[in-house]
Amino acid sequence: MSEKQSMIRVQNLKKSFGAVEVLKDINLEVKKGEVVVLIGASGSGKSTLIRCINFLEIKNGGEILIEGKSIDPRKDDLSKVRQKVGMVFQHFNLFPHKTVLENVIEAPQIVRKMNKEEAKKEALQLLKKVGLEEKADVYPSALSGGQKQRVAIARSLAMKPEIMLFDEPTSALDPELVGEVLETMKQLAREGMTMIIVTHEMGFAKDVADWVAFMDKGKILELAAPDEIFNRPKEERTREFLTRVL
Amino acid sequence: MPSISHLIEEFIRTFPFFLKPLLLTFELTFASVIVGTVIGLFVALLKVSRYPIGPIIANVYITIIRGTPLIVQIFVLYFGFYKVVDLGQFWSAALALAVHSGAYIAEIFRGSIQSIDKGQMEAGLSLGMSSSQTMRRIILPQALKRSIPPLGNQFILSLKESSLAAFIAMDELFSMARRLSAETFDEMTFFLIVAVYYLVIVMLFTYLVNKMEKRLAKGDS
Repeated sequence: MSEKQSMIRVQNLKKSFGAVEVLKDINLEVKKGEVVVLIGASGSGKSTLIRCINFLEIKNGGEILIEGKSIDPRKDDLSKVRQKVGMVFQHFNLFPHKTVLENVIEAPQIVRKMNKEEAKKEALQLLKKVGLEEKADVYPSALSGGQKQRVAIARSLAMKPEIMLFDEPTSALDPELVGEVLETMKQLAREGMTMIIVTHEMGFAKDVADWVAFMDKGKILELAAPDEIFNRPKEERTREFLTRVL
Repeated sequence: MPSISHLIEEFIRTFPFFLKPLLLTFELTFASVIVGTVIGLFVALLKVSRYPIGPIIANVYITIIRGTPLIVQIFVLYFGFYKVVDLGQFWSAALALAVHSGAYIAEIFRGSIQSIDKGQMEAGLSLGMSSSQTMRRIILPQALKRSIPPLGNQFILSLKESSLAAFIAMDELFSMARRLSAETFDEMTFFLIVAVYYLVIVMLFTYLVNKMEKRLAKGDS
């Protein structure tokens, strides 16, 4: 364990929206190839935490280290950081005026300056991986929610990130479409992708997570292996939460 | 009231006189809308800019333009341009109208930029694109499409407002109506005739805008 490279380290992270303190002194480390699942009630700060790691929200205090390097959002090139840290959103956020293929090749062309042919070739491989290569030329409006989310995953992977963040990737989906997205994520986990996932899918957390963090009122109350969190939770709050959702 | 037959007779008799002014009205409207759109886009981007100076400049411009009568703006800008650089009569008038409609077009663009889901910007940023790259390649193409119907309405307004250029000696539609009425002392006839010209153009254009709106709506979901 200890010899593995630290991909993300969060130290004493604080974040407030106005007078509301959303994150209070968060500490978290994710090593290469680990999958960490964040669980907790809505409003507990899970989404804010991963949005801070991608600097979509700017912290008020503490430090965020990506691959061992502390990032200062005012000085460092956030584009470089975000190329390493991919993000998948609850509402997919595909670009509706671009086809599936164009969605995937946009950032490689603009940010990585790849030529179009090369970008297309890589994009088609990624679409094949998420099972959607035959949808390359359709617009997102013609896809189901599950398909949209798989395209969003492919789009994010096209930047060859080292880390993937998932912000409730299946919460906006019809129940029968959740499985296909989780399957894609499982496949990524098997390939050794470092991932932080905010989810309410407890079964998925049990299966895939190396660590599960239970968040409550802006703090990580308990961080342990899934077996321990789900079968022998130490904190009363964790037990209460689990009896409500399981 | 002049009789209908008199109106029709006079309409046919003076039709040749109105051709050139009609063309000038169109030219004035197109030039002012195109330049106004460029101004409007620039001001809208200032208004949504992260740097505080952007919204301040944009708001000062929009407040002044919306807070003063168009005819006053036309006189100030016309004589103002005229004193500083001689752009010629046409461009002085067109620019005056453009600066005016630019304020309204800026609000159209601002509204449509802000109507784009903020997840679009976040998606662009999360892929490593800069905020200006995301604005240019992701937000603006969607926002501009949403702007087309209100821009059509602005075009109709600009067309009618171009009649005020008559007061800076532009020989457009309204100017011709004034001249004919002064020559014949038959004011009602020629002001009614010019009203028909405007009405027909506006109705034609409204039809086109509605048609385009329907076509654009089809592509959305």
